[in-house]
Amino acid sequence: MDYPWNFASVFANSDALLVGAIGTLRIFLICLVSGLSLGLFVGLARYSTRRALYIPASAFVEFFRNTPVLVQILWFYFALPMLVPFEISPLMAASLGISLNSAAFSAEIYRGGIQSIDKGQWEGARALGMTTAQAMRRIVLPQALKRMLPAMTNRGIEIFKMSTLASAVSYAEMLQQGKLIASLDYNPIEVYTVIALAFFVFLFPLVQATYALERKLRRSD
Amino acid sequence: MYEWDFSPVFMNADMLLSGLLNTLKVTGSALAFGIPLGLALALLRLSPRRLLAWPAGFVIEFFRTTPPLVQLFWFFFALPILIQVEMTPYMAATLTFSIQSSAFFAEVFRGGIVSIERGQWEGARAIGMSDAQAMRRIILPQAVKRMIPAFMERAIELMKTTTLVATVSYTDLLFQANELAQKTFRPLEVFTVTALIYFVFIFCFSLLAHRLERRLAVSGETTVH
Repeated sequence: MDYPWNFASVFANSDALLVGAIGTLRIFLICLVSGLSLGLFVGLARYSTRRALYIPASAFVEFFRNTPVLVQILWFYFALPMLVPFEISPLMAASLGISLNSAAFSAEIYRGGIQSIDKGQWEGARALGMTTAQAMRRIVLPQALKRMLPAMTNRGIEIFKMSTLASAVSYAEMLQQGKLIASLDYNPIEVYTVIALAFFVFLFPLVQATYALERKLRRSD
Repeated sequence: MYEWDFSPVFMNADMLLSGLLNTLKVTGSALAFGIPLGLALALLRLSPRRLLAWPAGFVIEFFRTTPPLVQLFWFFFALPILIQVEMTPYMAATLTFSIQSSAFFAEVFRGGIVSIERGQWEGARAIGMSDAQAMRRIILPQAVKRMIPAFMERAIELMKTTTLVATVSYTDLLFQANELAQKTFRPLEVFTVTALIYFVFIFCFSLLAHRLERRLAVSGETTVH
């Protein structure tokens, strides 16, 4: 246990880690925005009574919820290029995998949130002469979104953690940059410790905020 | 138009099969260590003594909020230098996923234990049981029943997470698929079949979990909402 810890080379390469942090944030934002917005459409389609919408949406959700994200990413990186006439970059493959996976998970959150809204809200909206689409947009979704907030922040945290999987296709996010530094100076302990702590320090306040939000919403509901 | 050809995949089916067995092996080992460890962490976290509750809380929060891939890399590349032992990919994977899943299992246990009404504790104490006896004989048996759906959900998550071991060259299903794709130059077929194998396995587990959840929900015994 008397290992001489030496963080000097980690700090000497902090610009490489910074590049990685930017890469992590980039993939996180892409997947957060595209995953959660696609999820809304899939969730609405799953809630629909039309079979032409309901069946494909359900198949999509079940498939992406029941396969590992890493398999999806590698499929988009190695398999998809055989089918499409253009190159798939590591960022594209990783974002596709994580976004579609998050869309499937968040679709279930949207659906659950919409279903949790009292029937009376629909009836009231219709009594005022709103169409179903209007009632959904103006009355039901705004209330449902509030209830979904804790589950959605949890999803966001999951997406942030999943962004490390992009390193498997050599996209320059934090972990990938860490691998490079570790192979350069042979100091995996310090590098991976710093990266683990960086994730913890960044995500821990968000997790605590989610807990607080959950408690607050439980009281107000 | 791309011409699909699955014959190279089926000719090497034994490779994928051995990978699948290894995936199940890692999942099984991580469950075998992770569940008891999770119970221990939950009991520590619920302890009124801060000296026990705080470190357990820290371990749980740390492993829940850091990415599993970073943990795996730490256990595989960093820990062997620190304690000077050889670490095989299998050992690193079992260690990482046992601890990682135990953090999640601990929260499931805690949720289950907390959900048991106070009256059960009071009744147990009234007939002269100690706290430990009440926990073992009265509270846990009831709590575990309520936790089953959440457990199955975590076990499914765990099986999906085990694909990460492919990145430290453990020959699980995903690693074997990668090898096979390079060998046969048929990545599309290989990765499609692999995704389907995972899907069939995990989907069956999910269906089972849902059915159990509905049955338990009928008898009013669930902590999953």
